[in-house]
Parts: sequence; structure tokens; C-alpha cells
Amino acid sequence: MAAASTDGGAAAATHQPYVLRETLVGHKRAVSSVKFSPDGSLLASASADKTLRVWSTADLSLCAELSGHDEGVSDVSFSADGRYLCSASDDRTIRIWDLATAAPLKTFTGHTNYAFCCSFNPQSNMIASGSFDETVRVWEVKSGKCLRVLPAHSEPVTAVDFNHDGSLIVSSSYDGLCRIWDSATGHCMKTLIDDESPPVSFVKFSPNGKFVLAATLDSTLRLWNFSAGKFLKTYTGHINSKFCIPAAFSVTNGKYIVSGSEDNCVYLWELQTRKIVQKLKGHTDTVIAVSCHPSENVVASGALGKDKTVKIWIQEDEDQKEAE
Amino acid sequence: MNVPIIDPLQGDFPEVIEEYLQHGNMKCIAFNRRGTLLAAGCADGSCVIWDFETRGVAKELRDKDCIAPITSVCWSKYGHHMLASATDKSLTLWNVVNGEKIARVTLQQTTLHARLHPGSCTPSVCLACPLSSAPILVDLNTGSSTVLPVSVSDAGNGTTAPHQRNKFSDGSPPFTPTAATFNRYGDLIYVGNSKGEILIVDSKNIRVHAIIPISGGSVVKDIVFSRNGQYLLTNSNDRVIRVYENLVPRKGAAKELEAMRSLDDEFQGIEKLKVVGSKCLVLFREFQDAVTKIQWKAPCFSGDGEWVIGASASKGEHKLYIWDRAGYLVKILEGPKEALIDLAWHPVRPLVVSVSVAGLVYIWAKDYTENWSAFAPDFKELEENEEYVEREDEFDLMPESEKAKELDINQDEEVDIVTIEKDSAFSDSEASQEELCFLPAIPLPDIPEQQDKCFGSSSKLEDSNHSGSPFSIEAAQNGQAMLPTSSPLEVVGNSTAEEVMGTTGLKRKRRPSAKGLELQAEKGRKPLTKIKPSAKLSKSKNKHGDGLDTNGFVFEDDVTDEYL
Repeated sequence: MAAASTDGGAAAATHQPYVLRETLVGHKRAVSSVKFSPDGSLLASASADKTLRVWSTADLSLCAELSGHDEGVSDVSFSADGRYLCSASDDRTIRIWDLATAAPLKTFTGHTNYAFCCSFNPQSNMIASGSFDETVRVWEVKSGKCLRVLPAHSEPVTAVDFNHDGSLIVSSSYDGLCRIWDSATGHCMKTLIDDESPPVSFVKFSPNGKFVLAATLDSTLRLWNFSAGKFLKTYTGHINSKFCIPAAFSVTNGKYIVSGSEDNCVYLWELQTRKIVQKLKGHTDTVIAVSCHPSENVVASGALGKDKTVKIWIQEDEDQKEAE
Repeated sequence: MNVPIIDPLQGDFPEVIEEYLQHGNMKCIAFNRRGTLLAAGCADGSCVIWDFETRGVAKELRDKDCIAPITSVCWSKYGHHMLASATDKSLTLWNVVNGEKIARVTLQQTTLHARLHPGSCTPSVCLACPLSSAPILVDLNTGSSTVLPVSVSDAGNGTTAPHQRNKFSDGSPPFTPTAATFNRYGDLIYVGNSKGEILIVDSKNIRVHAIIPISGGSVVKDIVFSRNGQYLLTNSNDRVIRVYENLVPRKGAAKELEAMRSLDDEFQGIEKLKVVGSKCLVLFREFQDAVTKIQWKAPCFSGDGEWVIGASASKGEHKLYIWDRAGYLVKILEGPKEALIDLAWHPVRPLVVSVSVAGLVYIWAKDYTENWSAFAPDFKELEENEEYVEREDEFDLMPESEKAKELDINQDEEVDIVTIEKDSAFSDSEASQEELCFLPAIPLPDIPEQQDKCFGSSSKLEDSNHSGSPFSIEAAQNGQAMLPTSSPLEVVGNSTAEEVMGTTGLKRKRRPSAKGLELQAEKGRKPLTKIKPSAKLSKSKNKHGDGLDTNGFVFEDDVTDEYL
């Protein structure tokens, strides 16, 4: 595993390619988001068909179908203990679902336009949500109270994420900015801006909370050191100019950046060298969602309306030539 | 919590009341080690644990046996257990995670302050300071107690001769109020007695290692260590708060003192103890109010030991005095017209929490002024007008010289995205111990039908389902509703918020201090009705972060009427 990061040229060679394991069919309209649970046992997918589906990662069977939203669902997020799901929908609400009973628990109203993204904090006592109404709202899980309304951006908010200890929230928007907020007080700590400001379609903290990965609609992914306000790495080669395609960090076997693309493929870049190590082909429409399993080398991807499926990719152990 | 970009001036002190918490009648408070949970003991014998981040109730510890008002609460080191002392002379040890009582011991007298042994994760020994006699070490498992010595007898020296002031007129045994505290690792106990002396007692073998006399010799009411164990403060009856520097090394303190004793053969008895004492604590500062000479109550240090805060013990006053370590009085905070009964400084952040006699917990925080350069990094905030002189070629048209910028960044540098940095503020966390920072938040299900159960139900606190904020019920009702109405009056009518505001039981309100309101008036803003569905209303006012609005804190109309 260590070999992958040092030798630049040989990176592509030591990478074990991912192959398609399974295609999960069932959604009736475009898939909008896929997420693995923190313990890796479940996979949740959200769709424009107003439902959420929860699949078991072990046998890839359907565990539950959650319906209740009045409009399509744009984002889904697991709580830290994997017991609850929160989903953001075009019906302007965020809902919490209890996975034990597969029933809706709470509805958070307050956004005045489509709720686009949501995320539990690591302690799972708060949820941050971003919306087309240009605000980020922080909700208390227990009571459903809206704790804060952050005047985050001047365009729809496309992504929110907490860092590893829950002290910071990062938000991105079509206005080209990424803003970092102190979750305890709601004060803005930092704004990341580059010279040209293409709409930022996705943002996420790195696992150690020191860096921020931002995707912009000029087909570029950037890794920023937000304390310094400068970006360190750029990943290109994919196509992303229309949709909000999330990216993920794959750290289980070497460090990679994984992202979907509008050319129907899933791209994997090596973190340090920024080279494309693999393109996963198979979907028949834009890959709009990716997620990496927390402990195994499994990637899940979901695609838009012409495809409507979730695909699971794994790394084959047997037929590789190198040792590691 | 120690993130580099969070404002470095966080090591500062609070200025205004930010919020208050209400849940029953709270009497005493304690933060857990990291300041993420706040425990409050109530007058009905229950303990409420607040999730400090969300300012909501995380758990209630109740038991049918515990019905007497709580006099003090104390967390165990890693937050799994909590000790509560009550006026029915009992001490109860709770398991915080499952909310069950572990042990209950009844003593001879009511304990004013009870402290769990700070050295272990599952402490069974605690220090109890009763109102009118010597502090005792209680073993919670067996119920046995050991009385600590409060003074040292020597040939010729008075032993327990009571201080002149404390004698009752009818000759009954007087108070010998004493204060005591563990040191950082619990191997030593520092006892402040009624003769104005600090005794350092070994907590294992109950031997007095050292004596430090306090000048003036008046009764010691409180004795408190700073969080890092470097400073000790005493609050004496002569209206002076004294801060001592602790010279004894933090780890293995008891052994050090033993060694010191055996080394020194010159002196004997009390003199020897005093010599050892002089090597343990050195007077650093004295704080007093020279003008009004007020008695102090509940003094404590800030989390980093930079500030000392004391509350005025004068009748009916809610005043907090803050001094810096150099001895200057930096701030006097005035609260509402309710006497203060307890005080605590947050272990990490510049927040102070005070409990008033009305049972409310007030949270004091820094008055935040929006940092505009955080919103637009190219902009620099100026203190005053600066004359700008442009360069010679400022407005010339320059071809193509900007593009080179991108290449400056060395993109081949290795980036580490997984290593998490240790939090330096909590240096003694052992990695093997699981610290309890948060209680799992279980979302209370939305109740789809009418919320009759909810309001006026302070008596229904035992039913945890209803202790949540009533707004969640609103949410269910309005869940299917379309755009919220923009008229606040109409929305108030919709929900039961009107009635709920009047009740004491359930929700928390934000009441701005007089100063806060002044500032508000200055900026010409009207406080808004705090109703969740009126997002449109709050959004339009909060959208372009006006300085005071603090990102969405909305104030209630009826509360401000009292102040204006």
C-alpha cells in the first residue's frame, strides 16, 4: 500500500483496477446521491422519484424503501451511529428517518426553496443543510429546532460538510465561493476564492479536516489548504460543467480522489500525483453520485435519468501482477 | 476544537449575556472536561444534562429516591459518571450514559460541595465538604467516610479552638466551615480551614504534609485549582481572593511532598509543615474590591488560567468581576436583578455560565463583531481612512502578465489528508480511555396531531418525549404547508408559541442583556418574533449579516418589552 504514493510514474501500474460487481436497479427516476453508512454495512441512495432506498452492502439486497417526501430527493446522509438518515428534498424539507423501523421520524421545515444538501455532524446532534434559498441552516436533531440560519451565499448552496470533530462547516455555492463557518457560533471564519470564480458544485473536508476538496463547473477539482487560503492540488480530465457531482476520498488502499463525470464514467485520481489511474465505465448517463466504503475497497456510484441505477465497484484481489 | 483558523483572540473574556437556559429550577452547574456538556442540579432532586453545542437538554437524571434539592454536581474525569449532593444529606453517583443511579450514600450532614476523585475514570472516592464541619473522604462503594484533619495540633498550639467570629451566642459548637479540593491528579487534598490556613493532606494516608498560613487568618470559604493545576485560589472571609502559584510538580505530587518532609530535619512539628508549605504554594496575587469591600462568591479560573472571575455575594446582586493574571480588574458584568448562586467558566471557550436564584442559567459570551475579511478575503478592514496613492503604472493596460500566477504553486508536494493533529488543550487525555463528549441525540418523533400535551407541562418533565421544544410539533403540522406567511402575528396565532412563552417548563429563550438591546436600538433594528416557519422573515433580515444580528439569533417581542 505504501508503494502507491511515492513512485509517481508507477502509480498507475500498482493500482488495482476496480471492476463492476453489481448493478442495483429499482429507482424509477434519476439517482441523485449515494452514501455508505459509517460502519459500511448499509448503502443509501436518494432519487428524483421521491424515495430513498437502503441496500445492504453484504448481499446488495434492498433493505428498505423510504417514502414520504413530496418531491424528489437531492441528498442523503447517515448519522454517526448509522441509525438515522437525513434527506434533503425539493419539497423544501429535511427529513430524518429511523432505519430500525424504516419510518420517517422528523421533518425540518424552514427553507424557502429546494433543500439541496444535508449532513449530520460527527456527534450527530446537529444537521447542516444547504438550499436554493442561499442559506445554510443548522438544525438540532433532538427537537427539530432550527439553531441557526447562516447567510451563506448569494446563489444556491450546493454542498455542506462538517469537519472530523464537528467544529467547522464548509459550504459551497454557485456564486463561486467556499465559506468556512464555526459551527458553535455560526460565524464565518474564511472564504476561499480564486481569481476566476466558476460555480462551485461540491465541497468536502479531508478526513483530517485540514484540507477542503472543491469541485467547480469548469471540470476541475481542487484541494485547498483552507487556513492558508491556497489550493495545493488540481485534478482534471473529467467533464463537469452542468451538474453538482460530488467527489470522495478513497483512503482504504492508497489515497485517491474519486469523482463522477458527465461522460458517464467514474474517475479515480491518485492523490499526490494527480494522475488519472482509472476510468470506470458502465453507466449510460452522467454519474451524479459517488461514495467510498469506509473500510473496504468498494465504490458506489449512481447515475441520472437514462440510467437510474446504482453500481457497485470492487477491487479484484486475485488477478493482479504486482505484490503491492 | 483547536482549529488554527478560529480567532486567536478566543482566549478572552465574555461581555454580554448571549442566551439563557431554562428547565426546571436549577441550582448548581458543572461543565464536563471539554465543555461539551453542562450538568445542572435542580431543586426537585433531578439533574439535567445540557448539550452545550445545541443548547438543548440531552438527558435528565431522575430517581424516585432523589427528591431533595441538589447542592452540587461534579463530573468524573472522562464524563461517564456524575456525583450529585443533595440537601437530604445524600450523595448520589450516576451513570451518565444510561441515566441510572450507581450508588447512593447518606452522610451525617448535608454536603455543600462534593468532588469526585479526578485521577481515575471510574472514581469511587469523593471529597465532601459539609456546611459546618471538616471535609470528609467518602468511599461511594462501601459508604465509609474518613474525616480530614482541618488543623494540626502541636504541643502548646491551640487545636480546634474556634475562631472568635464563629462562636454562637448560646455557646453551641460553632461552624468550622472548611473548603477543600483535590489537586489535579487527586493524590493531594488542599484544605482551607477556619483559621486561615491551607493544609496539604495526602489523600491516601490522610497525613498532613504541609501548612500554608494565609495572611489575615480569616476563614477560607472556597479553594479552587485552575484547570492545569498551576494556580490555586482561595476566597477568604476578609473579602480577598488570593491566587497562589503551585510549585509542586503536577504528577507524583504526594511523593514529592513526602520527600520534602523527610529531607528537612531542621524543623519539627508545625514549623516543619510550614516550611514545606512555603515550598508548595507562593502567593501570587490578591484581588479585592477596595471601594465597596464586597464578599465574593463562587470564584474560579478561566479555562487557560489567564483570568479569574468572582461573583459579588451581596444580596440580590448578579455581578461578575473579572481580573487578569496581572491583577487588574478588567470587567464588571452585570446581570439581571436576580441573585447569583453559582458560576462556572467554560474549560475552553471564553464563555461563563451563571445560575440565578430564579433557577435560570445565563450564558455570557463575547460580543461578536462580524469579521468582514472572512467573507471577502481580498478586503482589508481599516481602522480609519487611509490616503491611497496609486502606482505610476496603475492604470496602464498590461498585456498577459497575470497568467504566470498559477504555476507558482508546487502541485507535486505531498499532502497528508488523514493524520489528525492532537488537541493541545487537553494534553493529558489517555488515548485508551473513551471520553464521553456527547450523549447520543435521539430525535424526538414529530407528533402529528394537536400539541395539547405540550404547553404548561412543567410537571410533565418526567415524560421525556415532551421535554423537547414544541417547535418540532409545529414542524409536523406545517410540514406539508407551503410558503410560510410573512406576517409574524399570523404565525403566532397558528402555533401555540404564545402560550408556551408564558410557561416555565420547556423551551429556552434568548433574552438579550440591557447592553445588547441598547446596541440593537442603535442600529435601528426591530427584534423579530422567534417562530421557526417564518424563515422568509428571518432570512430577509439576516441575509446580509448585519453586525449585531449574529447570524440568525432572533429575539422575542414580549421579552424586550420588559427592558424598554
